Amino acid sequence: MTDTCNPRPMVNAGLLKKYLGRRVTTVVKVFRSDGADLVGQAPDGISITVRKAASSSITLSHFVEVVGVVEGESALRAEICTNFGDAFDMVTYNQLCQLANCDNRDCFV
Amino acid sequence: MYSGAGGGDGSMFAGGGFMPSQSQANDFGGGGGRRSGSQNSGLLPLTAKMISQAIQKPSDENFYVDGVDVNNVTLVGMVHDKEERATDVSFQLDDTTGQIEVKRWSVLLTLLAHHSPWNFTYVRVHGHLRSFQGKRNIVAFSVRPITDFNELTFHFLEVIYVHLSNIRAQGGTAAAPTHAATAGVGPHGIATIATNPSHYNQYLPPASAMVGGNVDECQKRVHMIFEEPESLLIEQGLHIDQVAQRMVGYSRQQVKEAIEFLVNEGFVYSTIDDDHYKSTNA
Repeated sequence: MTDTCNPRPMVNAGLLKKYLGRRVTTVVKVFRSDGADLVGQAPDGISITVRKAASSSITLSHFVEVVGVVEGESALRAEICTNFGDAFDMVTYNQLCQLANCDNRDCFV
Repeated sequence: MYSGAGGGDGSMFAGGGFMPSQSQANDFGGGGGRRSGSQNSGLLPLTAKMISQAIQKPSDENFYVDGVDVNNVTLVGMVHDKEERATDVSFQLDDTTGQIEVKRWSVLLTLLAHHSPWNFTYVRVHGHLRSFQGKRNIVAFSVRPITDFNELTFHFLEVIYVHLSNIRAQGGTAAAPTHAATAGVGPHGIATIATNPSHYNQYLPPASAMVGGNVDECQKRVHMIFEEPESLLIEQGLHIDQVAQRMVGYSRQQVKEAIEFLVNEGFVYSTIDDDHYKSTNA
């Protein structure tokens, strides 16, 4: 069987509180990034903080996908960061987050 | 002919390149040229979760998702645990819904090294769904790195679109949403889903718009009953009364006329007598 016991659903900031303590995926538009933290805009426009993994040292692009554990209503602890380049459609991604978490959950979570 | 459902959205899916040519006779629901329950030679965008939920009948090797038999599939996800062997490359594909093993047989070692996917990169996989020792996996014939990450968003939206189209083609009420899931419509909004307040009605045949729309709906549903895998297995097919029993809300005469129409179009044929019919697809 395929392994579906550890999904990482795509979320926006508004959905974070639904997944406290669980692993999620989101794309962040980077505002500011220093050694340990990253502050950026979630797909629904709300600002969130991402605690970077200690080992990561890659140069971040304008948009970054963060896979990590939800630590608070606007805080994530990152496990994997992936550069999504400088041209990513956040509006459509945000609508996807809503669709995937509401009526079409059976395909995703 | 069948009333075309989906307001022309079927063409969105037809762009996949693997769909049979959309002749008027085959246009059927939002699925775009594929009759539900019959042999599907098209391409299904899926997630690992949907694959884990796919039904496999004991009598055949086929998998079924949303009532459609699974042939070519496409997934998008992140590569993990890549293993390169002399004969093949395999990895776990993590597409946010779960992980599934993907295997690609090597053609030429040098070619493979060049195209080999790296761990933690996103790739688009095309292949076939297989089962080995009870475990489902994908045998891929194409593994391509993603360069524009909007393709990720696109893939999952396509998954939702096709999923809903197939459910509608089955005539099911499952997963019909009760409210507009998307708040606000952005400039790149999912136009066919988000903007229309009664958005999922467009997947239903516009019965009121067609002359005798009721007749088309009846024909479509009767046809679907003949196309069900269980119906295809019965040698003498189905008796008119059996079909009429299932067609709640329609008279026996309407069902009989629908069957006659299907016979004329070549979709069903009479078997042991004038009351038994079977799909020509069996």
